[in-house]
Amino acid sequence: MSNYQTTVGIEVHCELKTKTKMFSNSINNYGGVANVNISEIDFALPGTLPCINEEGLRLGIKAALALNCTINKKVVFDRKNYFYPDLPKGYQITQARNPIGVNGYVEIEVDGKKKPIRIHDIHLEEDTCKSTHAEKKSYLDFNRSGVPLLEIVTEPDMKSEKEAMAYLEKLRELLLYTNVSDCKMEEGSMRCDVNVSVSQTENLGTRTETKNIGSISSVGRAILAESARQMQEIEQGNIIQEETRRFDEKQNRTILMRVKETGNDYRYFPEPDIPPYDLTEEMMEDVKRKMEVLPEERRKIYRKAGISPVNIEKIIANKPISDYLLGMEDINLVIASNLLLGEISAYLNKTGKMLGDTCLDQEKFKILVTKLDQKEINNQIFKEILVELMETDHDIEKIIDSKKVDTLSSEELIKLIETIVLANPASIEDFQQGKDRAVKFLMGQIMKETKGKANPQEANQILLAVLKKQ
Amino acid sequence: MSKLTKEEVLHVSHLARIGVTEEEIENYQITLKQLLDDVDKIKDIPINHGELLVTPVEHGAILRNDSDSEMIAFEEVKKNIPATVGNFVEVPVMVNE
Repeated sequence: MSNYQTTVGIEVHCELKTKTKMFSNSINNYGGVANVNISEIDFALPGTLPCINEEGLRLGIKAALALNCTINKKVVFDRKNYFYPDLPKGYQITQARNPIGVNGYVEIEVDGKKKPIRIHDIHLEEDTCKSTHAEKKSYLDFNRSGVPLLEIVTEPDMKSEKEAMAYLEKLRELLLYTNVSDCKMEEGSMRCDVNVSVSQTENLGTRTETKNIGSISSVGRAILAESARQMQEIEQGNIIQEETRRFDEKQNRTILMRVKETGNDYRYFPEPDIPPYDLTEEMMEDVKRKMEVLPEERRKIYRKAGISPVNIEKIIANKPISDYLLGMEDINLVIASNLLLGEISAYLNKTGKMLGDTCLDQEKFKILVTKLDQKEINNQIFKEILVELMETDHDIEKIIDSKKVDTLSSEELIKLIETIVLANPASIEDFQQGKDRAVKFLMGQIMKETKGKANPQEANQILLAVLKKQ
Repeated sequence: MSKLTKEEVLHVSHLARIGVTEEEIENYQITLKQLLDDVDKIKDIPINHGELLVTPVEHGAILRNDSDSEMIAFEEVKKNIPATVGNFVEVPVMVNE
């Protein structure tokens, strides 16, 4: 069944990082005690009117810009009508006809090949309340009711599970870096529905929608399972139905859900309680001015600084580290990233601290990197003073002085190495006969004599020069 | 007199999650059709000249600051809710499967 082409389109819902909800001013936080962050609007009590949260709107614009969308300057909302206990109004406020952003794209890279995935639209809407189902009853928590959501819809541009996963990774990265959402799939702040079809011709096959998949890797497995199921159905002479399914992680297969309303059944119409809002140039400019440095731009900076591709991806995957490095282009970023990804990350993991919780502010860190770069201190010394740097406000110069960890001057080091070499004539002979062990042995002696304070690279260079003179 | 089909009435009642009897279906086949015919009169309005009125409100939407929060106590809301368990609202189970 290898002559089938799988096609995938993805809809992502992500919750926006606002303090209050999209259309009410109750706190945007759920997961704790039920029904405490609630207002009359969230419960759809009669006589209430929704009011747009400006920050929610700004985050929508920011996400649309980050996804290369055209912004619709006229902001209008629509009602999507359906009857369900998680939605006491009987409708969801969304943007059906005039989404905040249209015609964007996200560039992905799979197996070394770059490809744009087109974004059909991104629109703002409100979340429903959270339902927990028991055998005969459902239990509702309205803390989630009205939480601002962004729905991001792609064109059916992905042709494999790898491309779909790469798209989701890239999307997640962009939304995290723009501080639009915290994108925690496991906590439901980023939710994913995939539309999958298979076809043996150039025309797209009938698609099914697999809803609410819990992780990016599960999306990959769900696509493989659903496309295999569709191929098998077609091979058996059956017709694929347009339907909603869910992915069963344990059984690794998709399962048919009850068919919900679609299309016309939602009876969309313009939300009469929210008049249209015209975006001002001022607001647009303000959003653009405050836009964070996007991951691609950061990758360029790191590449230019000579950081290895592996470390670049490690930094990008760790936003606090990447943010910490912002504005540090004037120091040696290779050393800086090695410290952050190495000893400092190990310290943070061990202590359970965040970088921002430590005393190593950016100014102190810049001095530290510069001292290492100019070989005033070496890695051995850095390791010795790390804890003090992280846990005290002591001046970095004083920390170094108090530890008496100044490295030897070059002159002192040359003298010391000459003495060590002359004291080991057997090693000189070995070196002249091309035996590597001589250099290793002598380096060991040097580090022993200097108690590890010599810069190994510098010591190695001097040692070779001294040996060649013999 | 033209009327809706039985299936159309059942579809609408399903969307509204309202159970209907045979007698009510017959009644709705007529009365719902009358309602739809009334709404259809909107189509007679000439809209090919002048600017289309999207909203009767003259001013644009007012935006709200994302700062001050104001909540209501669940104890108050509970008074209008038929059933609660702890801090949860209890409803008949509805699972989409």
